[in-house]
Amino acid sequence: MTATLAPARPAAAAGRARFAALAAREMRRFVLNPVFLAAAGLAAYELWSGQRGTVTEIDGPNTVAAVCFGGFGMLAAFWLTRSMRASEPVVGVTPTTLPVRTAALCAVAIVPFGCGCLALLAFLHSHPVGDPVYGAFSPPARIAVLVGQIVVPSLGGPLLGVALGRSVRFPGAPFVLFLLLSGWMILVTALTQARPDSAPVAVLRLFAPFALFTLHSDAGVTAWRGSPWFFLGWQLALCAIAVLVALLRGAEGPVRARIIRALGIAGAAAVIMLMLAGTGGFTHAVTT
Amino acid sequence: MTGPVLRAGAWPAVAGVTGVAVVVGGCAAAFPAAATMLFPVCFALLAAAAAFTLDEPASLVVDVTPTGPARRTGIRAVALLAPLAAGALVMLAAAIRGLALPWAAAGLALAGNVLLGFAAACVARTRTGEPGAVAGTAVVLVLMAPSLVPQVARWVRTFPAPGAGGPSSDTVWWIVLAVCAAAIAIPVSGRGLPRWMSRIP
Repeated sequence: MTATLAPARPAAAAGRARFAALAAREMRRFVLNPVFLAAAGLAAYELWSGQRGTVTEIDGPNTVAAVCFGGFGMLAAFWLTRSMRASEPVVGVTPTTLPVRTAALCAVAIVPFGCGCLALLAFLHSHPVGDPVYGAFSPPARIAVLVGQIVVPSLGGPLLGVALGRSVRFPGAPFVLFLLLSGWMILVTALTQARPDSAPVAVLRLFAPFALFTLHSDAGVTAWRGSPWFFLGWQLALCAIAVLVALLRGAEGPVRARIIRALGIAGAAAVIMLMLAGTGGFTHAVTT
Repeated sequence: MTGPVLRAGAWPAVAGVTGVAVVVGGCAAAFPAAATMLFPVCFALLAAAAAFTLDEPASLVVDVTPTGPARRTGIRAVALLAPLAAGALVMLAAAIRGLALPWAAAGLALAGNVLLGFAAACVARTRTGEPGAVAGTAVVLVLMAPSLVPQVARWVRTFPAPGAGGPSSDTVWWIVLAVCAAAIAIPVSGRGLPRWMSRIP
């Protein structure tokens, strides 16, 4: 038994070391990408300039990290993924399989995720959880709202970029998707303003990787329908789907079957979380 | 000559991105409350579509043929009619639905957006055969900056929203049109770009 297992351990250790080296290299390439550097600089400037003025609302500063680390991170991750396409005939014959290389690319998302965590801390420094700008949400729900608006989009954007890079050939796909998502969020926010108490409209508003939960107006702060906790679950399910779709490319045999099964489970979880997010939380818009 | 040059264009990309822009513009026409925010997104997509008009996968062969860059660019410029017509159609639909916008200024913004995408592609085309993705991304980021960065929105307006403060978008677009005309003329005439623009990433 020992004699059978002994050779497998060094191979597994070597595989892990190879993956770590690959992930570190991809991370270095991602961090040095001009788009990501510009995004990080822009986010830092926006958060710094937000601390100087008087805080009257959060619908604006809370989108900065999602746009910079999520949106721009998606562009950078897409280019990073596609940059190896031309050298695929050479890289393809190395012992490292395509799913392992994809996993190393997905590991890159740790960087924007960390940046998102730092952005959350900076945001909480300038907009403490006790502020009335968060509306009628309880303090834990306020944290859930911010994690869903700042941290998880920073993780999901680059993962989506890797999935797009692996599955779409059109080089303009990331910015088209970025604009489409922006357009969708504008549209559903306008719909929510018109029908704040409608459950289907709440589901539509949350059917996105980013969603606003409050509206600031002369009447006060309106907290919209929807559960921030289940919305977090929906976002994490989307992240899992993005990783699995990316890994599916090049996967063969039992690994492919396992990924497809996991995709089914993640898809079902995403649908359930979305429904719970849309129907949970406040049953109608609450203005304070 | 015109037929083959036009046929070789990246029509799926131009038509696809223009189609997405029409969908977004259609939503702007259908939901007036979101129109002033959706129209800039629609126009940015049209600018990105314009950036793909100069894509030439066979550039290594085409660039050494006797047909000069001015003639090739001129023929490919015909493809700009697609995003321009789509933008005009969307504005017409919005006007028919009774949307109250300064249409002359919106038309200028549409022309400026499309020409900006084309100019970026012209500049990038001197260094790469398929400038669409790079030029499109750059143009989209520039055009969306006022929506994404509140500080920029205080200084520059790219869409003429009624009642909004700050400088007029017309001034911005007249300047952009003039700069784009120069940016298109320099590479097309065969002159080299400034040394600092030696490489497209």
